[in-house]
Amino acid sequence: MQKIVPAVIGLLIAIFVLMSCVFVVDQRQFAVVYALGEIRKVIDAPGLYFKLPPPFQNVVYYDKRILTIDTSESDRFITSEKLNVMIDTFVKWRIIDPPSFIRSVSGSEQIAVDRINRSLRDALNNEIARRTVSDMISSARDQVVENVRAKVNDDSKQIGVEVIDVRLKRVDFAPEVSERVFARMESERKQVANERRATGAAESEKIRAEADRQREVIVAEAYREAQQMRGEGDARVAQLFAAAWGRNPQFAAFYRSLEAYRQAFGSKSDVLVLDPSSEFFRYFKAPDGSPK
Amino acid sequence: MWTPLRSIFSLNDPGWGRGGGGADQRPPQRPGNDGPPDLDELWRDFNRRLNSLFRRGGGGPRGPSGGGGEPPSMKGAGAGLGLLVLVAVLLWLASGFYIVQEGQASVVLRFGEYKQLVDRAGFTWRLPYPIETNEIVNVQQLRTVEVGYRNAVRNKTLRESLMLTLDQSIVDMQFTVQYRVGDVKAYLFNNDLGPVPEEIVRQAAETAMRETVGRNGVDQVLYEEKEQVAQAARKQIQSILDRYQAGISIVDLTIQQVQPPEQVQAAFEDANKAAQDRERLINEGRAYANDVIPKARGSAARLLQEAEGYRQRVIASAEGDTSRLNQVATEYAKAPQVTRDRMYLETMERIFANTSKVYLDSRASGNLLYLPLDKLLGQAGADASSRAGGSATSSSGAHETPTPAPPAPRSDGLRSRDRDSR
Repeated sequence: MQKIVPAVIGLLIAIFVLMSCVFVVDQRQFAVVYALGEIRKVIDAPGLYFKLPPPFQNVVYYDKRILTIDTSESDRFITSEKLNVMIDTFVKWRIIDPPSFIRSVSGSEQIAVDRINRSLRDALNNEIARRTVSDMISSARDQVVENVRAKVNDDSKQIGVEVIDVRLKRVDFAPEVSERVFARMESERKQVANERRATGAAESEKIRAEADRQREVIVAEAYREAQQMRGEGDARVAQLFAAAWGRNPQFAAFYRSLEAYRQAFGSKSDVLVLDPSSEFFRYFKAPDGSPK
Repeated sequence: MWTPLRSIFSLNDPGWGRGGGGADQRPPQRPGNDGPPDLDELWRDFNRRLNSLFRRGGGGPRGPSGGGGEPPSMKGAGAGLGLLVLVAVLLWLASGFYIVQEGQASVVLRFGEYKQLVDRAGFTWRLPYPIETNEIVNVQQLRTVEVGYRNAVRNKTLRESLMLTLDQSIVDMQFTVQYRVGDVKAYLFNNDLGPVPEEIVRQAAETAMRETVGRNGVDQVLYEEKEQVAQAARKQIQSILDRYQAGISIVDLTIQQVQPPEQVQAAFEDANKAAQDRERLINEGRAYANDVIPKARGSAARLLQEAEGYRQRVIASAEGDTSRLNQVATEYAKAPQVTRDRMYLETMERIFANTSKVYLDSRASGNLLYLPLDKLLGQAGADASSRAGGSATSSSGAHETPTPAPPAPRSDGLRSRDRDSR
């Protein structure tokens, strides 16, 4: 028993020393081995590695993956037409050169983020001051983003960082501008609404007028045809009478006159003033029929 | 014996039984926090407890060295120790077993280096910790990111949902992105996903949608090209994520709702109503046309029919008249004088029977005769209308007639006004 305890203790110490000589580098990490404060080597590939036990050698890990800077609030910028816009960005970056990263920002991600943010703000300011709002929203958005990214990337190289992407998450008007935008949108809609109603009325009127025109044309054409028909009838009548009268014009005139007299004087309201000398009264005063 | 056993199996340990499955979803976040998976923690815990139990039991209940009840000797202790080591090694090896659920995939890392991908479900073995570790990712699961709202569309987050269009108007949009892990290795190793893995998709989705909306006018976004906007945004999200090699594939993007912001909704609605009004007005116009034109056709048809009727009527009556005339003329030719007198008298008889008459002997009267024609006419009219009495004849023998009244009353004053000649 007395021998086992020191043996176990010795074994434990040996294991501990051995453990401190072995380290694992993950797929997602860089490992930087320091020897007495000096960077001895940077391990990029994952796997099992050996080093001297501390305090002779220490190892520090850095993230190899793409990291994100996503500020929660928007920043205010001024465009070339002096409009305030609120811009919310995010940045994708990663550490590519651990020694520079360690030397320039003491290996602190937080400090690196601050540096990148400063550089980003600066680049955005320069870029946006040259652009209009509509550039920012659509036409030059990619251009702006790419310029800013290139600039920030250049600045960040010296701290061992690569900026992979800068994105404008939100581009909005400042609240006081938004009100004006709403007013403008409203007036635009009013314009649209009025135009729609007016075109509707115009269209409607056009259809009505067209209908009226068609009505006139239809009726007039029908009238033309109708008159033609009546004319045919009248012509036929004239023809018939001419033929009939032509056989004995004298009698026809007499016959027709009698008919006309009958037609003309047929009512009580017609008053005739008669003279006894007329042929009708030949026998009225003289039964023998002798004229006076 | 029960108490220690319970402590071995540690029934109250909340981590027990979860196995390696818990390593899903949350890949190690930061290098400093690189803890081993739960199973290994548990295993070590188990070993520790086992050791303490054996130490307390003084060699183990079924130590093969001595048999039951024999006091522990040095040799027995050595053998016991050997057995203990053997059991420990076996258990250590057994700790390499883990289960991959259906729809999951597992990545095996040997000393932190990617070794292989296990994408078939079931019982799997890897070298135990610390040589190999595994991480499990759910690859089939369809994950959802809601942008512009949370949980329900009504529950808006305006900061996310308001966006600018090409014509610098503002629209309010809620949409959902569905995605799944496409490339497990890329998903695990290329991006620091942070505490909320969906955040990377949300960022890409927000920026992509805003870019897309910024390329379209307000009308396109709101009404005309909603579907195209969704498609374009989907592609854009995918291309952003591919740029980060995130190993995520976007399955679908659905625009849940897109509308003008509340402040101007009334105006937009009015514009929509105006569109309806336009349709209504046009339809009213059409209705008018549909009313007028058929009616016009109807009256045209009436005109034609009337004309046709007229034509046939006048021809028929003319034919009748001429036929009658011809027949009478034939008879007249046989006895002209008699026929003429008869016809004349018959006609005059009919005329005088029906009219008012004034009989004057114009030659016998030397003086001027006052004849109140207007009164006579008025009276005759009244008589005619009331049909009272026979002929109101003032056949008084007036003696003087200044002028001979014509037998055929051609004086225009006596002409009946409303008599149609036809």
